Amino acid sequence: MATSKKSGGLRDLLEPMYSVIALLFILVACVELCDAAAAVDVYRLIQYDMSGSPFGSRFAALNHHASSLRFPPGADLSRTVLIIPLRELNITFVREYITQKKPLGGLLFLLPEVLSFKHGGNKQVHEKEKMKKLLAELEQLLVNSNIPYPVYFAFENDDIDTVLTEIKKNDAMGQPATATTGGYKLVIPTAEPKKVASPTITNIQGWLSGLKADGDANQLPTIAIVASYDTFGAAPALSVGGDSNGSGIVALLEIARLFSLLYSNPKTRGRYNLLFGLTSGGPYNYNGTQKWLRSFDQRLRESIDYAICLNSIGSWDNELWIHVSKPPENAYIKQIFEGFSNVAEELDLKVGLKHKKINISNPRVAWEHEQFSRLRVTAATLSGLSVAPELFESTGGLFDGRQYVNETAIFRGVKLVAESLARHIYGHQGKDVQIFADESSLAVNPAYIRSWLDLLSQTPRVAPFLSKNDPFVMALKKELADHADEVNVQHENLEGIFTFYDSTSTRLNIYQVASVTFDLLLLLVLGSYLIVLFCFLVITTRGVDDLISLFRRPPSRKVKTA
Amino acid sequence: MTMFHFFNCAILTFGPHAVYYSATPLSEYDTLGTSIKAALVYLGTALVKLVCLATFLQVSENDGFDPYQELLKALIGFIDVAGLYFALTQLTHRNISQNHKFQAVGLGWAFADSVLHRLAPLWVGARGLEFTWDYILQGLEANANLVLSISLAALGSLIWLRKNKPKTLIPIIYACAGIVATMPSITSYLRRGLGWHFPKVVGFELFTSLVMAFISWQLFSACQRPST
Repeated sequence: MATSKKSGGLRDLLEPMYSVIALLFILVACVELCDAAAAVDVYRLIQYDMSGSPFGSRFAALNHHASSLRFPPGADLSRTVLIIPLRELNITFVREYITQKKPLGGLLFLLPEVLSFKHGGNKQVHEKEKMKKLLAELEQLLVNSNIPYPVYFAFENDDIDTVLTEIKKNDAMGQPATATTGGYKLVIPTAEPKKVASPTITNIQGWLSGLKADGDANQLPTIAIVASYDTFGAAPALSVGGDSNGSGIVALLEIARLFSLLYSNPKTRGRYNLLFGLTSGGPYNYNGTQKWLRSFDQRLRESIDYAICLNSIGSWDNELWIHVSKPPENAYIKQIFEGFSNVAEELDLKVGLKHKKINISNPRVAWEHEQFSRLRVTAATLSGLSVAPELFESTGGLFDGRQYVNETAIFRGVKLVAESLARHIYGHQGKDVQIFADESSLAVNPAYIRSWLDLLSQTPRVAPFLSKNDPFVMALKKELADHADEVNVQHENLEGIFTFYDSTSTRLNIYQVASVTFDLLLLLVLGSYLIVLFCFLVITTRGVDDLISLFRRPPSRKVKTA
Repeated sequence: MTMFHFFNCAILTFGPHAVYYSATPLSEYDTLGTSIKAALVYLGTALVKLVCLATFLQVSENDGFDPYQELLKALIGFIDVAGLYFALTQLTHRNISQNHKFQAVGLGWAFADSVLHRLAPLWVGARGLEFTWDYILQGLEANANLVLSISLAALGSLIWLRKNKPKTLIPIIYACAGIVATMPSITSYLRRGLGWHFPKVVGFELFTSLVMAFISWQLFSACQRPST
């Protein structure tokens, strides 16, 4: 009994000791990671499989030496990371490296700080069009290739600029950084990227009921206004999609707000139901829209008069396009187009009509209205883009930040759509009545547009990385609930041909390392210093004879034994 | 190559102590016990100094040179001298000649100082990937400290252990001892007041340590002449 008590007491004493020792170990292990020359936030290139074929950058961890573009020709780059600032980017060089599968340790692209939504703010971008074109080309190249090494994006800042100038200086002297010549080492210690398990797409719909006259047994006709809210880009942590499709979301919310004001009073409630849809899965052939429509009741689907899809209405100057898949001679299409044109004339802007036939056998869905048309619902897409985008084009890429969206364009677009819809609902076609006039209580609110646009330009929205209860999705739902009578959320799985991998943003540590030769040299110097010190001390304290005798002892022993 | 760098800096910082012990007659007379006792006395002195500093010193916001604080630090530094006195006189040594006693005490003192002040930063910092010159400079500083400690121990033994000294040399001995004892204050003044960089300060320390070692060697041999 006594011994167990004693051992218990000893154990109690040792327990805090164990925690202290453990703490000490953790401290010792952690502290060595915090001494980098620079630490930068970096964003990884997207990694995905489409129908089993791998695309994007397949690795995340990085532990190689850094080099700039001025490396000596013929150098072996298989264990080097190339740091390429955007202004020095030569797209043919990168394309050559990727398509010819030349070995490379990694790529780090430096984007100008103005594009950063955390620090760039609202500064003006120089040479907007050139940068947009370059970034679009780079993005298309990277997203459609299978790259067997890590590719990262970072924003330029003072630290990394000084590091880059140093690296350029070293490279100019013909010394690429390797283990024996020192230089800078880039380290990203992340684990291997894992698949995102069953990515969900969330569709949010809001319903505004129209005024049903007593004794009217038939269902009221419905008009649908739809916009997709998710994005896709080369760097998913940076895909904020200001224009594609932030502008569409903002416009939809503002239209919902205006019509909810009108519908709140039974005297001004129209005889049409309004269905607002914020769909996900846009970049993936509007997969979300398809699933949303398929979930509709047959009667509801048949009651939809027409649907207006909003896509990229934030960066146009004077001309908007209405894209349709039914031929322009169709009576309904004519009606819609005339309605829009009349309002457009009054607002001093142009609206053009573009017809693109659907090919049922082709799985590619370029516009959202095509999903409606495939289910025989009249629909059109209003867009600032004149040409149908290819797969993963115009889905919110690297350049699509706050600077590329124009609030005035969205303002005018909202006015156009709202007026046209109102005239159709209240039967004022052809009449010169301004329902949403400026300075009235129903005026389009530029502050509302601006604040939502600012929020959207800081929120990356790639669908596989948005969880079911993502705060942004909840915020959209809440906002729509403020304006609509009834809000429903539908969770679906993204169609199986796409698989995504995680690890989208991390921290890069840049270390300045000394070469192995330096360490060896230092060891040599120190060794000789200690030997000299030893000899000096022996000579001064014991005399030279002692020093010589130190070296003579082994032979004298041999003589003795012999 | 980071453990390699740590190994290099470690042998620069602690190697000379081991070399000094094995090269001089200290190893023949087996004075290890004396050195260890001196090291323990240093630990005790360091603790007392820590408590005094914590009690009396105010933490200044800027890194400038505050004369009053530095004076206080120098006064507390004299606790070092008291500790050295204790080690030289009070510890019961075996019958070792005075010549070797001060060397053993100085060696133990300097080794404890190096371990306490330089081992932890070396372990934490030199093993990282990032390369800086700091740890090599720290090693050189440890070398200078070794020489200074041995000179201080020599002068101390002259002051407290040797009874018959030539009268003319006594003020010189006390003056040199004073200079060596206040070396920490002088270096901190150089670093903070004059803003010297670390390499310059280390160079100054090395130079002065060699000069003081030479002077104390001359003084020691001068005092030894009457007894031989």
